[in-house]
Parts: sequence; structure tokens; C-alpha cells
Amino acid sequence: MTGLVYKEWKQNRWYILSMILCGFAPVLAVLLFRNEIPHHLNELRTGGMIAGFLAAGALQIMVLRGDDRRLWGYWITASPDGYKGFLRVKYEMIYGMILLFLLSMQTADGLYCAAAADLGMTDTADISGIAVPLIFVQILLRSVDIPFTYRFGSKTGSIIKMICMVAIAILLSVTLIFLMDDWDSAAALAKKLFTGYSSSLLLAGLFAAIPAVYCLSYRMTCRLYLKGVEQYDK
Amino acid sequence: MTNKKDTLKRLGIYLLIVAASSVMLFAFFKWMASSETAFFLLAELFCAAPALANLITRKVTKEGFRDMKLHLHLTGNLRYYLLAFALPLVCTFMMYIPPILLSGHSEWLNGITPASVLTVILMLAAQGAVMSVGLVGEELGWRGYMNQKMEPLAGIVGTVLIGGAVWSLWHLPSDMQVYLAGKQTLSEALQTVGGRLLIMPGYAAFYLWLTKRTDSVWPAVLSHAIGNGSQTAVIELLGQGSIPESADLGVIADVFHYVPMIVMAAVFIIMLLHDKAGTPRTA
Repeated sequence: MTGLVYKEWKQNRWYILSMILCGFAPVLAVLLFRNEIPHHLNELRTGGMIAGFLAAGALQIMVLRGDDRRLWGYWITASPDGYKGFLRVKYEMIYGMILLFLLSMQTADGLYCAAAADLGMTDTADISGIAVPLIFVQILLRSVDIPFTYRFGSKTGSIIKMICMVAIAILLSVTLIFLMDDWDSAAALAKKLFTGYSSSLLLAGLFAAIPAVYCLSYRMTCRLYLKGVEQYDK
Repeated sequence: MTNKKDTLKRLGIYLLIVAASSVMLFAFFKWMASSETAFFLLAELFCAAPALANLITRKVTKEGFRDMKLHLHLTGNLRYYLLAFALPLVCTFMMYIPPILLSGHSEWLNGITPASVLTVILMLAAQGAVMSVGLVGEELGWRGYMNQKMEPLAGIVGTVLIGGAVWSLWHLPSDMQVYLAGKQTLSEALQTVGGRLLIMPGYAAFYLWLTKRTDSVWPAVLSHAIGNGSQTAVIELLGQGSIPESADLGVIADVFHYVPMIVMAAVFIIMLLHDKAGTPRTA
């Protein structure tokens, strides 16, 4: 397993380290654009955070590239750690990248808030309230991306994933259109779900389920990997 | 094989660096009190000090970076991760809930529902999955280095007690912070320090046991995060009840604050000794 960790580090160290830079995106946004938008620094930080989140997501996907080769698939399957060991290291590395991004963002933002307090800027709020839910979204997105990439290869996988997403969006839209007729009862149900403790419980349940979904995604990728290898280019 | 003298030297260097991080906060207390930026930077450095001490000691003594216990080792060890999550939570509940029930004030807990308890547990699980990584700064030092060096020198009981005391005393700057700011008497501050000295060996024993069982620092990292998070979570949960502001349960609250941790220390020391007795000796 240590050999696989070494291989991933040698191949992807710049992507991994770039997570630190992505975490500094909210502070960088303020430093770069504070003269253009001087009265909306909090909004600028939120914008920077979203930009950092998108950049970090793209970089996390890039560590999957290059492994969709048939010969590599056969070789790693025959190695002592097997393809399961290889996939486990990939999943752990991507999870680690997400956590590094969060840690870096919280450190950079904490430093910014402290410096702002010293400068007498009293309206500076901590962005962790948005950053932490976004991290869960990122974990969920990666748990969808990885199985598609290993089952169909990078290019085909992203196209099929896109088609699936569009299909889900259409399905949801159609469901909403049908619900229009019975909108009041749907709204009442939503109100019931999202008020008081039930909303906190629902949210806590969703957040707690996401890391479990990530583990399930690993199991699924293990099942699909060998089928995928047969479809990869040589 | 390294001899005891080498191990002692390595442990000495490690402890010196860690102690310096504590002294640093006392030395810069006035600067930290006057500047939020200084407070943030020094506090961050302090929190990462045990891990940094681990890395610096390994580099200085040319020991190398093997056996950092950074692998997750999830396979076959999931039950230890679950225990790492559950036990600190149970201990925190034991600190607060039984004293209220035993002193006949169960009506104080009326506002707490099963849904609110479940919410707290799920939220802690979610937090543990992403926020616990911040505790690597501590655990990589205490469990990933100090315990490894201390065990051959002081044995298991010594590692738990001395290690627990060192770990507690490292927190001295944060325990004395309110006193140094002039908002607490010295006896109150010393009470906090003493209380921590009683609590920490329990956690030290549990984390040592987890690290040895899984050969990884991650269960200890998770457990540490849940231990910290559950304090806030349980207090917030109790806030939903109807506890009067002037509530004072007296001795029974103190007993339940310390006894679960002392029991935990004893249980895990026995388990560690049992594990050691079962390990075949090599020539």
C-alpha cells in the first residue's frame, strides 16, 4: 500500500498541494479586487470561496486522469494490493485533498477575520457556515464522479455522467410540473419537513449520510472496475 | 535496534519542543491579548506543535519518517473507529445527564426529545468525518511519537500516567488564559488545571489502546474531535431543557465529571496490559 501512496504522491503532488492555494481563494479575491468593490468584501470572499471550490473540484477530478489504460488496469489487478488497493488509495487521496482544501480555507479565512478585527472591520463574518456544507457537496460530487470515470474512462465517463445529470434534471422538472396541480399539499409537506427540529434532523442525517455514500461509491467502483478496464484504450 | 539512551534523547528533544510551544504562549501573552492576528497565528502554531515536534525530532535525530502511523487501516478495524466515535460521546453524556437524574431533577430534561438527541449524534458524525482532521496536529505528536518513545522507558502504566500529565500540562496556557486576563482567581485556574490532570489519563489510555490496536493515529484523531465536539453539543442539548441558571448539583456533579474518566483509564490500562501479556516475546 505504501508503494501506491508513493506513486500517487509522485504523480499528483502538485494537484494535492494546489488544494492549499484553492483554500486561499477567498483571501486572494479580497486582495485582488478590494479596490474595485471596496464595500462588498464579504460578498467578494463568498465569491472567492465558490471559485476556490470549483477549482478544487476540477483539480480533484484531474488526479483520476491517466489511469484509464487497459495495460495499467491489468497490471494493477495482478499486483499484491490489487485493483481494490489502488482504488482505496485513490479514494483516500481525494478525500484527503477535500479535507486539505477545507483546512486551508478555514486557516486562511481565520487569519483574514483576525486581521480584519485588528483593522476595526466589525462586520467580517466567518465563512465556515457556507464552506462546511459545500465540502459535503464536494464529497457527494466526487462519489458520483469516480465510479463513472473508472467504469467508462475519463472522456466517455464525463459524457455519460452529464447525460445522467440532464436526465435527472428533466425528471425532477417533470415531477415539479405534475406537483403544480397539488402545490399546496407539497408546500405544506416541505414546510413540515423544513421547520424546527425536523429540518435540523434532516440536515444532520444528510450530512452524516454523505461520507457513507462516499464509502458505498468505493464499493461500487470496485465492482465496476474490471468491466471498465475492458473498455479502456490500450 | 535503538537503545534506551537513544530513545530517551529523542523523547527529550520532542518534549523540549512541545514545552517550548507552551512557554511561547505565556511569553507572548500580552501581544496575543492586544492583537487578534497574533492570537490566531500563535494559537494555530501551538495546536500544530506536537506534530511539528514529531517531524523536527525525527529530522534532527536522523530517525527517519517511518512508522508515523498515518495509514487509515480501515479493513478489519471499523469497530475501533466506531468505538472511537461512540465512547467519548457516552462519556460526555455520563458527565452531564446522570447527575441531573440522580439528584431528582429529571424535569430539567423535559425539552430534550429523542429527535434532538439523534440530531446531535448525526451532526457529530458528520462533523467527525470532515472536521477531525484539524486534530492531526496534536495526535500525530502524542500518539504518533511520544507514546512510542515513552512506552519502552516507562511501561504502559507510566506512558498513560506520565503521558496524560504531559498532555494536560501542555494545555496550561489555555487553562490559565482567563486567570492571566484577570477574570479568574488563581485557585479557580488551578482547579481547571487539576481537573484536566484527572480527566486526561482516561483519554490517554483510550487513545493509546486505539492506536496500538489499529496501528494508526486516525481513530485517536476522530475520537479526540468527537470528545471536543460532544462537550459543546451536549451543553447545547441541555440548553433545550429547562435548567435554571443558578443550578448547582454540588458534589454529585463533580463525581460524575471525573469518575467515568478514571474508570476509563483503569479499564484501558488493564486491556493494554492484557494485550501486552498476550503478545509473544521475541528473542
